[in-house]
Amino acid sequence: MISTREFRRRDFLGLASVVTIGLMMTSCDSDTSEKVDTSKSRNGAMESFKVGDTFKATTPLTFTFLFSDQPTYPYKKDWLLFTKMASDNNVTLEPTIVPNSDYEQKRSLLISSGSAPEIIAKTYPGQESAFVSAGAVLPVSDYVDLMPHFQEKVKKWKLEPEIEALTQEDGKYYVLPGLHEELWPDYSLCFRKDVLKKEGLSEPKTWDEFRDVLRSLKKAYPDVVPFSDRFKGDSVLNIASAAFGTVAGWGLVDGLQFDEGKKQFAFAAGSDKFKDLVTYFNSLISEGLMDPESFTQTDDSAIQKFVSGKSFVISANSQNVITYRTSMEQSLGKGNFEIGKIIVPGGPAGDIIGGSRLENGIMLNSSVKDKDSFVALIQYIDWLFYSDAGQEFSKWGVEGTTFTKEGGKRKLAADINFQGLNPAGTKDLRVDYGFSGGNFAYGGTTELLQSTFNEEELAFQEAMKSKKPRPVAPPVPFNDVDREQATLALTPLKDHVKQNTLKFITGQRPLGEFDAYVKELDSKGQTKYVELANKAYKAYADKK
Amino acid sequence: MVNKSATANKGAAAQGVLLKNMRVSRGMRIFRAFNLVFLLLVVFLTMYPFLNIIAQSFSSEGFINAGQVNLFPMGFNTETYKLILADSTFWTNYGNTVLYTVVATAISMVLTTAFAYAIAKKDLKGRSVFIGLAVFTMFFNGGLIPNYVLISSLGMRDTIWAVVLPNAISVFNLLIMKSFFENMPRELEEAASIDGLTQYGILFRVVLPLSKAIVATMVLFYAVANWNSWFQAFLYLDNPDLFPVTIYLRNMIAGVTTAGSAGGTAENVGQIAANIQSVTIVLTVIPILCVYPFVQKYFFSGVMLGSVKE
Repeated sequence: MISTREFRRRDFLGLASVVTIGLMMTSCDSDTSEKVDTSKSRNGAMESFKVGDTFKATTPLTFTFLFSDQPTYPYKKDWLLFTKMASDNNVTLEPTIVPNSDYEQKRSLLISSGSAPEIIAKTYPGQESAFVSAGAVLPVSDYVDLMPHFQEKVKKWKLEPEIEALTQEDGKYYVLPGLHEELWPDYSLCFRKDVLKKEGLSEPKTWDEFRDVLRSLKKAYPDVVPFSDRFKGDSVLNIASAAFGTVAGWGLVDGLQFDEGKKQFAFAAGSDKFKDLVTYFNSLISEGLMDPESFTQTDDSAIQKFVSGKSFVISANSQNVITYRTSMEQSLGKGNFEIGKIIVPGGPAGDIIGGSRLENGIMLNSSVKDKDSFVALIQYIDWLFYSDAGQEFSKWGVEGTTFTKEGGKRKLAADINFQGLNPAGTKDLRVDYGFSGGNFAYGGTTELLQSTFNEEELAFQEAMKSKKPRPVAPPVPFNDVDREQATLALTPLKDHVKQNTLKFITGQRPLGEFDAYVKELDSKGQTKYVELANKAYKAYADKK
Repeated sequence: MVNKSATANKGAAAQGVLLKNMRVSRGMRIFRAFNLVFLLLVVFLTMYPFLNIIAQSFSSEGFINAGQVNLFPMGFNTETYKLILADSTFWTNYGNTVLYTVVATAISMVLTTAFAYAIAKKDLKGRSVFIGLAVFTMFFNGGLIPNYVLISSLGMRDTIWAVVLPNAISVFNLLIMKSFFENMPRELEEAASIDGLTQYGILFRVVLPLSKAIVATMVLFYAVANWNSWFQAFLYLDNPDLFPVTIYLRNMIAGVTTAGSAGGTAENVGQIAANIQSVTIVLTVIPILCVYPFVQKYFFSGVMLGSVKE
C-alpha cells in the first residue's frame, strides 16, 4: 500500500506541473507583439486628428473601463461627465465598478484571469511591470504616433527622461502616465508659526537652520520635545534625503541611486551621504530635539501631541494642515495658534527636492488592438487625458454649465461647490457631476493643477519654485528571471536598512559601527542586487 | 444504584443547610470582597474598549485627535452617522448583508449537518475517503485566479450565488460537528429504530433535537463569519447594488482617510476620517449583539446527561 502522504505529494507535484505548463503557455503569448496594421481598425476614427482637435467618433462607440469607485463621490450613471462624453465625443464608457479600497487586488485578478476591461485606470508607473511578460497589457509605445497631444506634451515639457524610465526589458513601455508640467511638491514640515513668532525665530531654510530653530525652541520650552513626527518618520526622511543627496524613507523604493559620472547604479543606503543623513537625525534625537517615538508611534499619537500643544513640528501635506487646524480650533481654541507648512529646507546637496512628474495613468488591455475601433480608442484617450480641452473637461466640467471663465480664471457655477471653493454651492462638482474624480482628472499644466488650490497652498507652491528637482534616473528593465532574483534580494536588504536607519538615528547602535553595517549589507546580497541592476541597465543602454 | 443517588441527594441537602447556618468567616468575607473587586475589574477591562468605541463614534474630531475621549463622548457629534445613514447605498448594502447571511447560513447548515452526520457513522463505506476529501481542502486549494475563472464560467459572477455557495462547508466546523455526532450514544438511535423510525426520522426527530447546542454554535459561527465576510463578494461582484455592507464600509474607511486632493478645503472630511472606524464598528456589531443573548442559552449542553447508562 502506498502511504497517503506519499500519494498526496505526488498528486500535488502533478498539480504543480499543470500550473507551470499553464503559465508557460500564457507567457508564450508575449512574443506576438509585432505591430498590427492599424488601417483595418479605423472604425469610428477621425480622418485627421491633430493637436487642438476635439475627438468625435464618426459612429457611436462603446469602450469598457475599469473604474475605481470613491465612496465620497460614488459612481453615477447619469453624471454630466458621461452624458457629455456621449453627446460630444460619441463615446459611451461601460464601467466595471471596483471599490477603491482594494482596487489593485481586483485589477490584478481581472488582468490575470483574462477578464479585464479595455481601459484600466489608476495605474501608477511601475505597477504595470508585473503584467508585461504575460502579454496581457498593450505596449502603448508602439502606438503613440496616433497620439498627437501626448507627444506634444512630452516634448514641450521635456518629459523624455521620465517616459524613458518607463521602458521595460523589450524596449517598450506599457503604461500611459498622467503628465505634470512641473514637479508638484506637497509634503513638508508643519510648524507652530505662532510659537516661532513669539520666540522671534524665522522659518528655517536649511536643515542646519532647522536644528538651530529646534534648539532655541527647546531652550524656551525645556519640557517640550519640539519635533514629534508621524508617518513613522518616512516623510521627513524622504524630503531630507533629497537635500542630503541620497534616498531614504518613502523615497527608498528600490534603494538604487544613479551615478551620472560613472554611469552606473549604487546602493544608496550604504553611501557616505546616507551616513551624513542618519548622523544629522541622530543629533536631533540625542539633543532631545526630536521625539525618538517619531519612528514607531502611530500617526494618531503624533497628531495628538501636535494638536494638544505638546510638540511644535510635524510632517504634513496641505490636506493634513487643514485637519490639524480644525482639531486645534477645538483643543486650543481659535486664535490661540497659527500653523502652516514651511518651505522644504535645503541641505548639503543643494536645494533639491525629490518626486516625479508622472502620476498614475492608464493601461490598455492587449485585446484592444484586435478591435475594429482601435484607432478611435487611442485617439479618444489622447484627447481625454492629454489635450488641454480634455483635461479641463475632466477637472472643471463644461464651460457655461459647471464653470465660467473670466480673464483666464475659472469660477464654479453659483450653485456648485468643490472642496470649499464656493461654499454657497449646494451641489458638488464630484458627487453630482462626476468631474475632478480620480479616474479621469490628473496631470496637466501647472495653471490647471493650481486652479483649485487655496491661497495658502498657492503661496507654498510659489515659494517651492526655487527648488531644483532631482534628475531622473534611467530605467532598470529587469528580465523575468532577474526581476524575481532582484525582488528576493531587495526585501531583506530593505528590512536591514530600515532597522538600522532607526537604530543609528535613535542611538541604539553607535554611529561608529556604520562601516560594520555596510559590510552586513554586503552579506545580505547588496553586491549581487546592484550587479543585477547594472546588468539590466547596461543591456538597456547598449540597445539604445 | 437507587440507594447511592439517594444518599448523594441527602448529602447535598445537608450541605445546603450547613452553608445557610454557617457564620461567614473573616477569611471568606475578604475572599468575597476580593472576588467582587477582581471580577468587576475583569468586566471593566472587557467593556472598556467597547464603550470607548461607542464614545468615539459620538465625539467630535478635535477631541478624538487630541486623544481625550475615554468612556463618554466629548463634543457630541453625529456628523458621520448622518452621512452614512443618509446614503441609500448603505441601506441597500445592509439589506444585502442580511440576505446573504441568512441564505448562506441556511445553506451551510444544511450541507454541514448532512455531511457531518453521514461521516460520523463509523460503518459508512468509504468514510475515510469522504473525510479525506474534506480535509484535503484545508491544505490545498485552486488559488484565486482559477477560482475566479470557475465562478465566472459557471455564470455565478454578479449573483448572490457567488457569495453564498463557494465555501458553504467550513471543514473546521464540519469536523467539530462530526465529533459531536460521534459522541452521540448509538443506543439512542438503535432504540429509535426499534420504535420504528426511519433513518431520516432518526436524524430529524432524535438526533437533531438533542443537538441544539452544536447546531446553535454552528449557526453562530457561520452567521458571524458570513456577516463579516467581504472578500468573496469583492472578488465576484461588480455591481455596487449587490455589495454587502462590509465592502461599503471598508471602502468608506479607505476613501475617507485618503480623501481630498491637496490645496483645497473639504468641509467634513476631517470629522469623518476621525471616527469613521468607530461608527463602522458600532453599526456592524449591533445586529450580532442583538442575536447573541438568544443563542447563548443553547450553549449549555446538559440535555443528554443521564439519558443512557453504560
